[in-house]
Amino acid sequence: MTEVVTPTLLNAPTTDVYIDSIEVSVNQALSKSSQLYLHTSPELEMKRLLSKGSGDIFQICQVFRDNEQGRINSNEFTMLEFYRVDFTMHQLMDEIAELLAALGKNEPIKKMSYAEVFFEYSDIDILNSDINELKTILNSLDLNSDDEWIEDIQMHLFVHLIEPKLKEIPLCFIYDFPKDQAALAEIHGPVAHRFEMYINGTEIANGYQEIQSAQEYRDRFNEELNKRKVLSKPFEFLDHSFLKDLEGGLPYCSGVAIGIERLYSSLSL
Amino acid sequence: MNYSTSQFKNGLKLMLDGNPCSIVNNEIVKPGKGQAFNRVKFKDLITGKTLEKTFKSGESLEAADVMELEMQYLYSDGEKWHFMDPVSFEQFDLGKESMGTALSYLVEQDKCIVTLWNNNPISVTPPNHVILEVTDTDPGLKGDTAGTGGKPATLNTGVVVQVPLFVSIGDKVKVDTRTNEYSGRA
Repeated sequence: MTEVVTPTLLNAPTTDVYIDSIEVSVNQALSKSSQLYLHTSPELEMKRLLSKGSGDIFQICQVFRDNEQGRINSNEFTMLEFYRVDFTMHQLMDEIAELLAALGKNEPIKKMSYAEVFFEYSDIDILNSDINELKTILNSLDLNSDDEWIEDIQMHLFVHLIEPKLKEIPLCFIYDFPKDQAALAEIHGPVAHRFEMYINGTEIANGYQEIQSAQEYRDRFNEELNKRKVLSKPFEFLDHSFLKDLEGGLPYCSGVAIGIERLYSSLSL
Repeated sequence: MNYSTSQFKNGLKLMLDGNPCSIVNNEIVKPGKGQAFNRVKFKDLITGKTLEKTFKSGESLEAADVMELEMQYLYSDGEKWHFMDPVSFEQFDLGKESMGTALSYLVEQDKCIVTLWNNNPISVTPPNHVILEVTDTDPGLKGDTAGTGGKPATLNTGVVVQVPLFVSIGDKVKVDTRTNEYSGRA
């Protein structure tokens, strides 16, 4: 695997619905003032390298996010991100487990699909419940069900019912998220090939079998931008140069982003 | 008056389903691709039960008019227990159900914390340690070292506490009101 360093200052903000880029003004004294954006993850820049035939790559860098609060969220943190060409999502999860073993985390790994984890800790058939059924469940728990999109309702139920139960599990992978929570993962039927890794109930990593076509990226970005618009969030444009660079397509690959500070503190390193 | 999730902190008193509740733990959780939530553990100040709720970041809740005042326990007529705020001289009374564990420890004149909701007393918290007198216990025979559990002793409020074998009737003992444990001689 080759270590790479990609630019931190980007021409476009992230289109993620719930992640905000930090905007910076540059070159004002040169009368060439422009707005750039600190990367929220090196994902798009690393994918440009992959589409140009870089092969397997990794990066450890600082990433930046606006409007973060809470004990384990921060405006700046360290991310390890790596991509494996020709790996399935499951092969990547196995490799992450090897990395953790090398760091001294040897406990048995629990691997569950999103649907299974809901069956295990609740009696909700999460993949086959529509938004109204899920809102009814939230209301029966006396929780606010004001969200418009099913993924927000699913996440509310996950945070309330499931995540607290994961605290006893030393190492857990949850994979095959509902397609409504695909982010930038390939979708197969009702699920997306997306996974997350939890250590004692804290989310440490997020990974996908990556989307390969530029058109699919365009569609996902536009969907995200529309949702940001509905929520009155700032920034409403795509990274067109990224889409242009990906016109040749991305090789079949899987990638993961790991929060280093959270990883280190969960391993007591 | 409302509090939004960004103002949540331990000890904050809020209304939930008609009861005043105190925040015991407030955790902000943000799923990787989702909005932030506040996962909050509450203690219901009326029922004493703990409950957990998960709020969307930005939600707000009604504040509960709850005050905790140091008062003096005056006396009981068997049905009501009477307290006085030493600053305002205002008197409050509580029924047996609301007295909780304070029944086991309070002696007239003792200071304690009375919790008021909308100016009505809802619970009493005795001081962390009280000094009470042993009214009944078996004599601890010298050399009787069978077991290390000590022996039960009844104290002047009626409560029973495990004490060391050397404690006798008439002795004053210090009791930790949070654990009902002997804390030493007084």
